[in-house]
Amino acid sequence: MNAIGRHRGLARIWAGEPGLRGVFSAVSHTDIGKRFIIASAIFFAIAGVLAMLIRAQLATSHSAFVGPEAYAQIFTMHGSIMMFLFAIPMLEGVAIYLLPKLLGSRDLAFPRLTALGWWCYLFGGSIMVGSLLVGLAPNAGWFLYPPLSGPEYTPGVNSDVWLLGVTFVEISAMCAAIEIVVTILKFRAKGMRLDRMPIYAWYILATAGMMIFGFPPLILGSILLEIERAFGWPFFDPELGGSPLLWQHLFWLFGHPEVYIIFLPAAGAISTIIPVMARTKLIGYGAIVASVMALAFLSFGLWVHHMFTTGIPHMALGFFSAASVLVAIPTSIQIFAWLGTLWAGRPKLELPMLYLLGFFFVFILGGLTGVMLAIVPFNQQAHDTAFVTAHLHYVLAGGFVFPMLAAAYYWMPHVTGRLRVMRIGEAAFWLIFIGFNITFFGMHLTGLLGMPRRVYTYPAEAGWDWLNLVSSIGGFLQAFGFALFALDIALQAWLGRPARRNPWGAGTLEWTMMTPPPAYNFASLPEVECREPLGARGTLAADLARGEGLLAAPRNGWRETLAVDIASGKPDHVAILPGPSLLPVAAAASFGGFFAMMLLSLYWIAPLFLVAVTVVIWLWASTNGSREPVGPLEIGDGTTVPSHYEAQGTVGYWGSVFALCASGTLFGSLIFGFAYLWTVAPHWPPQTGLDAPLFETGLIVAGALAAAIFVRLALPRTGNGEGRLYLAIAGMGLTLLVLASLPVLRLPAPTDHAFGAVSTTLVAYGLFHAMVATLILAFMMVRKRQGFVAHGRPQEMRVATLWVDYAAGTAIVVALVLVLAAWGV
Amino acid sequence: MPLLRLSAGLTLWAIGFCAIYAVHGLGCALGWPNETVGPFELHRASMIALWACFTLAGIWLALVLGRYRGSAMDRASMLLAWAGAGTTLVSGLPIVLVPACL
Repeated sequence: MNAIGRHRGLARIWAGEPGLRGVFSAVSHTDIGKRFIIASAIFFAIAGVLAMLIRAQLATSHSAFVGPEAYAQIFTMHGSIMMFLFAIPMLEGVAIYLLPKLLGSRDLAFPRLTALGWWCYLFGGSIMVGSLLVGLAPNAGWFLYPPLSGPEYTPGVNSDVWLLGVTFVEISAMCAAIEIVVTILKFRAKGMRLDRMPIYAWYILATAGMMIFGFPPLILGSILLEIERAFGWPFFDPELGGSPLLWQHLFWLFGHPEVYIIFLPAAGAISTIIPVMARTKLIGYGAIVASVMALAFLSFGLWVHHMFTTGIPHMALGFFSAASVLVAIPTSIQIFAWLGTLWAGRPKLELPMLYLLGFFFVFILGGLTGVMLAIVPFNQQAHDTAFVTAHLHYVLAGGFVFPMLAAAYYWMPHVTGRLRVMRIGEAAFWLIFIGFNITFFGMHLTGLLGMPRRVYTYPAEAGWDWLNLVSSIGGFLQAFGFALFALDIALQAWLGRPARRNPWGAGTLEWTMMTPPPAYNFASLPEVECREPLGARGTLAADLARGEGLLAAPRNGWRETLAVDIASGKPDHVAILPGPSLLPVAAAASFGGFFAMMLLSLYWIAPLFLVAVTVVIWLWASTNGSREPVGPLEIGDGTTVPSHYEAQGTVGYWGSVFALCASGTLFGSLIFGFAYLWTVAPHWPPQTGLDAPLFETGLIVAGALAAAIFVRLALPRTGNGEGRLYLAIAGMGLTLLVLASLPVLRLPAPTDHAFGAVSTTLVAYGLFHAMVATLILAFMMVRKRQGFVAHGRPQEMRVATLWVDYAAGTAIVVALVLVLAAWGV
Repeated sequence: MPLLRLSAGLTLWAIGFCAIYAVHGLGCALGWPNETVGPFELHRASMIALWACFTLAGIWLALVLGRYRGSAMDRASMLLAWAGAGTTLVSGLPIVLVPACL
């Protein structure tokens, strides 16, 4: 088969559907990645307009431009959109677009999950932004502290929009995080050991791992606050045993890692671009990997530095202050590695490099003020002033926006296959850079002079007028810069001259393909022996197009890509990926219906949409698998590997592992909340006690163990195991029923005291997983009968076993926590 | 395995950090600073014991991981283990410098 024939065959297999249906059924990572990037850029523009409104209001004292209510909505939505609808989705979009191309794969591990994430993001973001148009946008600040955001002080739907909208968008983030981790671990080129991965993949692996463990506390907090607002369960009400500080802990358990979740992918782009711009190799690859991992861990030990003024004992402040200072070290290692790389190479001042120089200046200043704020006495002086606003903008704009602008210029020739038209980008840079520093450097000073954050006006006697006016002028200068940037990108996309392949002379795999890239990425999959395979073998692009790589011949109309051993990069199996599907948009619409009903307080209709979600997911899972043995598949280098239907440790298994890690983090956060309220909140122990549910605990343990044992015995090693599956279902069903009985028969009312609220929530969590496990077991029964689960094709049962084990374990833990709580009361 | 080795040092720090913070919170809530074990104040002594255990465990782990010297990942694992031990040591310093529950 020649290169043209191969291109046509692969293009036919990997093509999306035509017309409007194709818009909704697209699953290609290239398409979805671009959608994420474009949508998040639009949200950035909306948040930017809100920022201009803020600066217009604050330009002078006693301004009558907007009133306090509108101003509260504007600053809350500015922060919320920038964090949840711009920064995270932008980093996801870039990763979704780039990763398979950098790793030598044809797509991500779960193409339909990528599409589900996209639709959840679009629907959730639209709900949030739509609320602005009707004047019901969130208005309690982007971190929504209760009691301000609670039912007493925000009785309308404003806070509900935030809680439900952000949770909806977080579904998207969790989908992306699981997708990304599994893709990096399993979908790499042959020979791409972990230490040969492109450095960007390390950054994104750490980021996605942080998302898996960092987002669940926020999701939990949002669920609890929404339940408090909707049903009056007093998690955060100190009169009834709750504590508003619990929200702060849960929020910042997410919120501080979030800063690094935003920074690390941008740093990954920097580490990729700088060596290319400096025409050399990256210095200190191993040290950078170590510092990225250190940041990923240490960033979870800093959250209390956002709470230094809440009255926490000095020793605890000391723990978090020390950790906050230490985190500067791994950040500095990266900065020195970048400077060293520039020093060792022959840097050329192309446009991406100009934006990276802007990054160095702005981000280092933001880092220095971060170290200042890590020191408790200074923090207490500067807390809630414009100084903090200035610091966070220096860190986030410096650490994310400037690198992303550099990345946009660097990878635009890849996305569009075109070159820039005029030198508008340079003008845009200077406007953004100068405007940014005028805006936010001044805000350091207004903060030090005592101006609080989030005030809609200030008295002329305060003496803050001229600084605010200068900041506002700088803000509008920036806005012109961003408008020029958008114009430059649009002109490049529509009018640019065709770019030659690999215009920067980079060594990574994404430049081996045609630009703009075909739907299948690689005509044949590369085999790599170093970190810069294109740099090491100049003919690699042509060789792959000729079919000299792996999986070169289209086969059976399958969307094939290679899965490898996690550590060594040796071929493990051939993954056959699903094609276009309407199931993701159907699932997202069902989730959307649930959130919309909750927002409209139609609580009795909302569960119907969860049933719809369940039906869609059942149909989704039904389209997987093979009834017939596929056998070993030739991959093109003379070796054969099994298909994913018949392999061990497939992406489905790893996806479940990480999904359960996220759920386990949420569960752990809930238990932390229970312990926190017990030890810190007022009005504990509660007046209404709890008799230890020993009998129920016995039944739960028996049912859970039976389910875990019989699902193992039903693995398709011997016989068809249907009877054992029935017993597993019976065991899990018993656990489910007993858990369901606890709130009715045993637990105190959830509205009377936080004890009842948290213990009922714990039971609801166990119940949810027991229901999921029971459904999975029922699904396995159907699959066994249909012939999808058989000897040699055990993967689905292995995944089911994971979920059953988890449900069994959590049910037992829930029961034991309740027994301990009963004894404690 | 390489990923586990990479994560080991800082995972140990994270566990130690949480354990010390939990004992600090529990101790303040339960009034441990007023209780003594022999000549020692119960609260601070329990935190010092945890701090010492996790620091020493971190050093031991770094020494063990230092035996693997094959690849960049091995060196990074050792570096991270030392970082974990050092972070445990530094972030625990307030135990001996600051009043516990003020």
